[in-house]
Amino acid sequence: MSFFRITLHRSAIGLPKRTRGVLAALGLHRRGQLVFHPVSAQFAGMIMKVKELVIVEEVDRALTKREVHDSRKPDPGFWLETARAVGLQQQQQQFQQQQQEEEVRL
Amino acid sequence: MFGPFRITNSLSGGLLWKIPWRLSPSQKFRQRKRLRAVDSVIATVTNALAKKGETLKSLDRWAAEMPTEAQMLPRDKYTMFDRKAKRYRKGIHKLPKWTRVSQRINPPGF
Repeated sequence: MSFFRITLHRSAIGLPKRTRGVLAALGLHRRGQLVFHPVSAQFAGMIMKVKELVIVEEVDRALTKREVHDSRKPDPGFWLETARAVGLQQQQQQFQQQQQEEEVRL
Repeated sequence: MFGPFRITNSLSGGLLWKIPWRLSPSQKFRQRKRLRAVDSVIATVTNALAKKGETLKSLDRWAAEMPTEAQMLPRDKYTMFDRKAKRYRKGIHKLPKWTRVSQRINPPGF
Protein backbone atom coordinates (compact mmCIF):
# COMPACT_ATOMS: atom_id res chain seq x y z
CA MET A 1 0.00 0.00 0.00
CA SER A 2 1.48 3.33 -1.03
CA PHE A 3 0.98 6.74 0.47
CA PHE A 4 0.99 10.37 -0.57
CA ARG A 5 3.62 12.30 1.34
CA ILE A 6 2.16 15.80 1.43
CA THR A 7 4.05 18.88 2.62
CA LEU A 8 2.34 22.26 2.95
CA HIS A 9 4.74 24.51 1.04
CA ARG A 10 2.72 27.74 0.60
CA SER A 11 0.46 29.32 3.17
CA ALA A 12 -3.28 29.59 2.50
CA ILE A 13 -3.63 33.07 4.03
CA GLY A 14 -6.16 35.09 2.06
CA LEU A 15 -7.35 32.15 0.00
CA PRO A 16 -11.01 31.07 -0.12
CA LYS A 17 -12.57 29.29 2.82
CA ARG A 18 -13.04 26.16 0.70
CA THR A 19 -9.31 25.93 0.04
CA ARG A 20 -8.43 26.35 3.71
CA GLY A 21 -11.09 23.78 4.56
CA VAL A 22 -9.47 21.25 2.22
CA LEU A 23 -6.11 21.84 3.89
CA ALA A 24 -7.67 21.34 7.32
CA ALA A 25 -9.29 18.13 6.08
CA LEU A 26 -5.87 16.92 4.91
CA GLY A 27 -4.56 17.71 8.40
CA LEU A 28 -2.32 20.56 7.26
CA HIS A 29 -2.41 23.48 9.65
CA ARG A 30 0.96 25.16 9.32
CA ARG A 31 3.58 25.68 6.63
CA GLY A 32 6.18 22.93 6.35
CA GLN A 33 3.88 20.40 8.00
CA LEU A 34 4.12 16.84 6.71
CA VAL A 35 1.22 14.35 6.49
CA PHE A 36 0.75 10.93 4.93
CA HIS A 37 -2.46 9.74 3.30
CA PRO A 38 -3.17 6.49 1.43
CA VAL A 39 -3.22 6.70 -2.36
CA SER A 40 -6.90 6.85 -3.27
CA ALA A 41 -9.15 8.88 -5.54
CA GLN A 42 -10.54 10.72 -2.54
CA PHE A 43 -7.19 12.08 -1.38
CA ALA A 44 -6.08 12.67 -4.96
CA GLY A 45 -9.09 14.95 -5.44
CA MET A 46 -8.24 16.83 -2.26
CA ILE A 47 -4.66 17.29 -3.42
CA MET A 48 -5.96 18.60 -6.76
CA LYS A 49 -7.82 21.35 -4.89
CA VAL A 50 -4.62 22.60 -3.23
CA LYS A 51 -2.06 21.61 -5.87
CA GLU A 52 -0.46 25.09 -5.90
CA LEU A 53 0.24 24.98 -2.15
CA VAL A 54 1.67 21.51 -1.55
CA ILE A 55 4.59 19.29 -2.48
CA VAL A 56 3.50 15.69 -3.08
CA GLU A 57 5.53 12.50 -3.32
CA GLU A 58 4.46 8.87 -3.46
CA VAL A 59 6.04 6.67 -0.77
CA ASP A 60 5.68 2.99 0.16
CA ARG A 61 5.17 3.53 3.85
CA ALA A 62 3.69 6.24 6.08
CA LEU A 63 6.17 7.48 8.64
CA THR A 64 4.93 7.79 12.20
CA LYS A 65 5.03 11.14 13.97
CA ARG A 66 8.02 9.93 15.96
CA GLU A 67 9.94 8.93 12.84
CA VAL A 68 9.29 12.30 11.22
CA HIS A 69 10.48 14.01 14.39
CA ASP A 70 13.62 11.87 14.52
CA SER A 71 14.40 12.50 10.85
CA ARG A 72 14.42 16.24 11.55
CA LYS A 73 16.77 15.96 14.53
CA PRO A 74 20.30 17.16 13.85
CA ASP A 75 23.22 14.79 14.44
CA PRO A 76 23.93 14.99 18.22
CA GLY A 77 27.69 14.76 17.64
CA PHE A 78 28.22 12.05 20.28
CA TRP A 79 27.13 8.50 21.02
CA LEU A 80 26.72 6.47 24.19
CA GLU A 81 28.92 3.46 24.78
CA THR A 82 26.66 1.59 27.17
CA ALA A 83 26.36 -2.16 27.15
CA ARG A 84 22.82 -1.85 25.79
CA ALA A 85 23.85 0.51 22.98
CA VAL A 86 26.77 -1.74 22.00
CA GLY A 87 24.44 -4.74 22.02
CA LEU A 88 21.97 -2.94 19.77
CA GLN A 89 24.76 -1.99 17.37
CA GLN A 90 25.95 -5.59 17.18
CA GLN A 91 22.40 -6.75 16.55
CA GLN A 92 22.04 -4.22 13.74
CA GLN A 93 25.33 -5.29 12.18
CA GLN A 94 24.33 -8.94 12.34
CA PHE A 95 20.99 -8.12 10.76
CA GLN A 96 22.66 -6.16 7.95
CA GLN A 97 25.13 -9.01 7.34
CA GLN A 98 22.29 -11.51 7.16
CA GLN A 99 20.46 -9.30 4.68
CA GLN A 100 23.54 -8.93 2.51
CA GLU A 101 24.08 -12.70 2.52
CA GLU A 102 20.47 -13.22 1.49
CA GLU A 103 20.86 -10.70 -1.34
CA VAL A 104 23.98 -12.53 -2.54
CA ARG A 105 22.06 -15.82 -2.47
CA LEU A 106 19.21 -14.34 -4.48
CA MET B 1 12.92 70.81 -12.20
CA PHE B 2 15.63 69.78 -9.72
CA GLY B 3 16.13 70.38 -6.00
CA PRO B 4 14.14 69.53 -2.86
CA PHE B 5 10.81 71.12 -3.95
CA ARG B 6 10.49 69.58 -7.38
CA ILE B 7 7.05 68.37 -8.38
CA THR B 8 6.90 64.60 -8.44
CA ASN B 9 3.91 62.31 -8.52
CA SER B 10 4.29 61.26 -4.91
CA LEU B 11 4.81 64.85 -3.64
CA SER B 12 1.78 66.29 -5.40
CA GLY B 13 -0.58 63.38 -5.06
CA GLY B 14 0.36 61.69 -1.79
CA LEU B 15 0.28 57.91 -1.82
CA LEU B 16 1.60 56.42 -4.99
CA TRP B 17 2.11 52.73 -5.64
CA LYS B 18 3.91 51.78 -8.77
CA ILE B 19 3.35 48.28 -10.06
CA PRO B 20 5.56 47.60 -13.09
CA TRP B 21 3.65 46.65 -16.21
CA ARG B 22 5.72 43.53 -16.79
CA LEU B 23 7.52 40.94 -14.69
CA SER B 24 11.24 41.11 -13.98
CA PRO B 25 13.43 38.23 -15.19
CA SER B 26 13.63 36.78 -11.66
CA GLN B 27 9.86 36.98 -11.25
CA LYS B 28 9.52 35.13 -14.55
CA PHE B 29 12.01 32.50 -13.40
CA ARG B 30 10.09 31.92 -10.19
CA GLN B 31 6.80 31.82 -12.11
CA ARG B 32 8.20 29.05 -14.33
CA LYS B 33 9.38 27.22 -11.23
CA ARG B 34 5.89 27.39 -9.70
CA LEU B 35 4.31 26.17 -12.95
CA ARG B 36 6.68 23.21 -13.00
CA ALA B 37 5.94 22.48 -9.33
CA VAL B 38 2.21 22.21 -10.09
CA ASP B 39 3.02 20.00 -13.10
CA SER B 40 5.05 17.68 -10.89
CA VAL B 41 2.24 17.41 -8.32
CA ILE B 42 -0.21 16.50 -11.08
CA ALA B 43 2.22 13.94 -12.53
CA THR B 44 2.83 12.33 -9.13
CA VAL B 45 -0.88 12.02 -8.35
CA THR B 46 -1.69 10.72 -11.84
CA ASN B 47 1.07 8.09 -11.67
CA ALA B 48 0.11 6.97 -8.18
CA LEU B 49 -3.54 6.51 -9.17
CA ALA B 50 -2.62 4.84 -12.46
CA LYS B 51 -0.64 2.20 -10.56
CA LYS B 52 -3.85 1.29 -8.76
CA GLY B 53 -5.73 1.38 -12.06
CA GLU B 54 -7.83 4.32 -10.98
CA THR B 55 -8.44 7.69 -12.56
CA LEU B 56 -10.08 10.94 -11.58
CA LYS B 57 -12.35 13.31 -13.46
CA SER B 58 -10.48 16.43 -12.34
CA LEU B 59 -7.14 14.88 -13.36
CA ASP B 60 -8.49 13.89 -16.77
CA ARG B 61 -9.86 17.38 -17.31
CA TRP B 62 -6.56 18.96 -16.32
CA ALA B 63 -4.64 16.67 -18.68
CA ALA B 64 -7.04 17.43 -21.53
CA GLU B 65 -7.27 21.19 -21.09
CA MET B 66 -4.13 22.49 -19.40
CA PRO B 67 -0.75 22.72 -21.14
CA THR B 68 2.38 21.90 -19.14
CA GLU B 69 5.01 24.54 -18.48
CA ALA B 70 7.08 23.34 -21.45
CA GLN B 71 4.07 23.47 -23.79
CA MET B 72 3.02 26.99 -22.78
CA LEU B 73 3.91 30.09 -24.77
CA PRO B 74 5.80 32.84 -22.91
CA ARG B 75 2.79 35.04 -23.62
CA ASP B 76 0.57 32.75 -21.53
CA LYS B 77 3.13 32.25 -18.77
CA TYR B 78 3.64 35.92 -17.99
CA THR B 79 0.48 37.68 -19.22
CA MET B 80 -3.23 36.97 -19.11
CA PHE B 81 -6.40 37.99 -20.89
CA ASP B 82 -8.13 41.19 -19.75
CA ARG B 83 -11.11 42.57 -21.61
CA LYS B 84 -10.39 46.14 -20.44
CA ALA B 85 -6.67 46.24 -21.23
CA LYS B 86 -5.18 47.57 -24.43
CA ARG B 87 -4.73 44.67 -26.85
CA TYR B 88 -6.51 42.46 -24.29
CA ARG B 89 -3.42 41.45 -22.30
CA LYS B 90 -2.14 42.41 -18.85
CA GLY B 91 0.72 41.14 -16.71
CA ILE B 92 -0.13 38.01 -14.77
CA HIS B 93 1.10 39.74 -11.59
CA LYS B 94 -2.07 41.87 -11.68
CA LEU B 95 -4.07 38.76 -10.81
CA PRO B 96 -4.84 38.66 -7.08
CA LYS B 97 -2.83 35.90 -5.29
CA TRP B 98 -1.12 35.21 -8.62
CA THR B 99 1.64 33.10 -7.04
CA ARG B 100 -0.88 30.69 -5.53
CA VAL B 101 -3.50 30.26 -8.25
CA SER B 102 -3.34 28.54 -11.63
CA GLN B 103 -3.87 30.75 -14.68
CA ARG B 104 -2.78 29.00 -17.87
CA ILE B 105 -5.32 29.28 -20.67
CA ASN B 106 -7.15 32.03 -22.52
CA PRO B 107 -10.86 32.41 -23.30
CA PRO B 108 -11.84 31.00 -26.70
CA GLY B 109 -10.69 33.25 -29.53
CA PHE B 110 -7.98 35.04 -27.54
